[in-house]
Amino acid sequence: MRSVKKPETYDAIIIGSGMTGGWAAKELTEKGLKVLVLEAGRPIEPDRDYVEHVPITEMKFRGMNDRQETLKDQPIQRTCYACDEWASKFFVKDTEHPYTMDPDKPFAWIRGRQVGGKSIMWARQSYRWSDLDFEANAREGIGVDWPIRYADIEPWYNYVEDFAGITGQAEGLAQLPDGHFLPPMEMNCAEVAVKERMASQFGRDRVMTIGRAAILTQTHNGRAACHYCGPCHRGCITRSYFSSVNATLPVAEKTGRMTLRPYSVVHSLIFDSQTRRVTGVKVIDGQTHRAMEFQGRIIFVCASALESTRILLNSATPEFSSGLANSSGELGKNLMDHIMGGGADGVIPGFLDRVQTGRRPNGIYVPRFRNVSGTEKNFVRGYAYQGQAEREGWERGIHESGFGASFKNSLRKPGPWKMTFHGFGECLPNPANFVEIDKERVDAWGVPVLKIHCEWRDNEKALLHDMMIQAAEMLTAAGAVEIRPYKQNNPPGLTIHEMGTARMGTDPKKSVLNAHNQAHDVKNLFMTDGACMASSSCVNPSLTYMALTARACDYAVSQMKKGEL
Amino acid sequence: MERREALRLMGAASVFSVLSSDPFTATLQAQLAANKSGTLRTLSPAQNEIVLAMSDAMIPATDTPGAKAAKVNEFIDLILTDWATEVERKIFLEGLAQADSKSNTLFGHGYAAATPNEQAAIVQIFDEELASTRNEELPKQVRSWEVTLLYPFFAQMRRLVLVGYYTSPIGQDQELKVEVIPGALHGCVPVEPEVKQ
Repeated sequence: MRSVKKPETYDAIIIGSGMTGGWAAKELTEKGLKVLVLEAGRPIEPDRDYVEHVPITEMKFRGMNDRQETLKDQPIQRTCYACDEWASKFFVKDTEHPYTMDPDKPFAWIRGRQVGGKSIMWARQSYRWSDLDFEANAREGIGVDWPIRYADIEPWYNYVEDFAGITGQAEGLAQLPDGHFLPPMEMNCAEVAVKERMASQFGRDRVMTIGRAAILTQTHNGRAACHYCGPCHRGCITRSYFSSVNATLPVAEKTGRMTLRPYSVVHSLIFDSQTRRVTGVKVIDGQTHRAMEFQGRIIFVCASALESTRILLNSATPEFSSGLANSSGELGKNLMDHIMGGGADGVIPGFLDRVQTGRRPNGIYVPRFRNVSGTEKNFVRGYAYQGQAEREGWERGIHESGFGASFKNSLRKPGPWKMTFHGFGECLPNPANFVEIDKERVDAWGVPVLKIHCEWRDNEKALLHDMMIQAAEMLTAAGAVEIRPYKQNNPPGLTIHEMGTARMGTDPKKSVLNAHNQAHDVKNLFMTDGACMASSSCVNPSLTYMALTARACDYAVSQMKKGEL
Repeated sequence: MERREALRLMGAASVFSVLSSDPFTATLQAQLAANKSGTLRTLSPAQNEIVLAMSDAMIPATDTPGAKAAKVNEFIDLILTDWATEVERKIFLEGLAQADSKSNTLFGHGYAAATPNEQAAIVQIFDEELASTRNEELPKQVRSWEVTLLYPFFAQMRRLVLVGYYTSPIGQDQELKVEVIPGALHGCVPVEPEVKQ
């Protein structure tokens, strides 16, 4: 990506170049705006930086990660499955990006600071919300009501899916609306058997479908189909999965109206109390640590839920003493993440003369079935499962007995089919889960850091327990043996679906953003990343962030054209 | 070699009598200090001989080369030097001393000097000992985010030999015939002689 310094006054400034920043860059430049994209991290050159085809033989620690180095520099990031020996360079150094917590409430804040942000390493699962989700807060009197419904966002789901390319299978389920899908990826032998056996036991109540993912199963908008090498989170030289580097930023670049400035650490926003608008951004150069300012007519904050919130908290003014655009007092509150890791695995007997070829970068999905038609006693909302069946490889030998020639020959063949259901549950908005500025501590660029207060509460814990039990029940129905239910103790944050700290709502007294992701208090300020979420659903959120961003951009430009902005 | 035969060779009581390792630790320290040349940074030449012999007993040459040819010993030396903690390193090196000790007790000479059958017998003993402790520890180890080597010696050895072998060029290209870019996805196809996961 090009990096140009002038001019320094722009129609729009976008903070962040990841999932939502990339979409804002594409939409606003295509609508004719001159846009500055500020990215805190370094540039990414796919030819140089992507490592998906580097064989394990060339890795110093053969995939076991540089343990001593990551324990020193990335003690938090390394707990994320994707922060492996290849891809750890896409995760921040915790030493440079500190944050603080209560001692008894760990929160895993997983971050990527580079052009593309976390869209480079994301898990690509892409699901639509339904009105079961949008109406939940109002129905149960929890948090605030969403200011939008499915009908408001549906055209924007269509729009972003048509550009990004989402593979999936239509199922006609009300709780998980179908999208504009590219052809589905194949299930393997054991998955097909499990799907059929579940269907005979549970009917339409518990449906197993192939994962819906932002990966191309055919050529799409000039990007090549997936070649099934497997580890998308290390990059993709054929741009077959969606990321801002692979898809949106090149389109913005082509308009000639985007200036992308890496190494631009945003300190805070500049607010003019006369015009009641933000006029620009205070930036610290990531390399020289020089302070500078940029001016823009509108500002899109797309830095990731907690970074965006941190920027507003650090932009306090005499009027907004607890953070810019925070007359409601809700900024920083209601932090959510999906509770993950209740589940079960088991062996599906048979099919030993059959294998899957190609590494499918996608799994299966069991949409939410709790509190859909019936009502559970022990919890509200629900959860969904991701999972897969696979034949175990040579790694199983580590935990088996045996050695010698016959052992070696046995490991040459794949092991039995093992099926896993891994649950992801909805988290309720709770003002007691919140972030604030820790006045005692700054990061490597002198920017005050966040103090995060967050813990799972009773409803999430009840979901986690139930997802373990029901996973085992489904495996039983599917004819599995050696079933092992499990319940992990993952800290919030580790699912990397953190959201909710600048929620949308109709009432300016109870929410930070309106129905168009526009700050109630500051009309030319928009936030479209996970910060905006009023509830969390149980589905993976990125597709919704994309749709909300495109929708907010459309609104912002139409307001500018009307002279309202 | 069968387990029964291995146990008959050594006698059940001697399993525990050979575990004391203090004299060997002292010897190892001396060897460590002496090993200033060559590419190995932690393993002494004597320890390296044990690792070479034991890894090759576990993954021998068949129609493809084995652990020795795949230089599993060099991988283990790297892990011991740059990856493992001091405690883990100590457990591993003491385990090598135990291998020597067991061999001395049973066969009257050190592990590296033992015959292939004798070396296999020692591996069998370690394997049986590990299997007896595995049931309770397995689930925790498999699911741990923090992958460590804090196992008994032979669990470390199993893990390092298998990782070292199957992630080597010999393991990936000759033994497993891994394709980095498969090009297509097929969910359910018959196993063919060429198709290996």
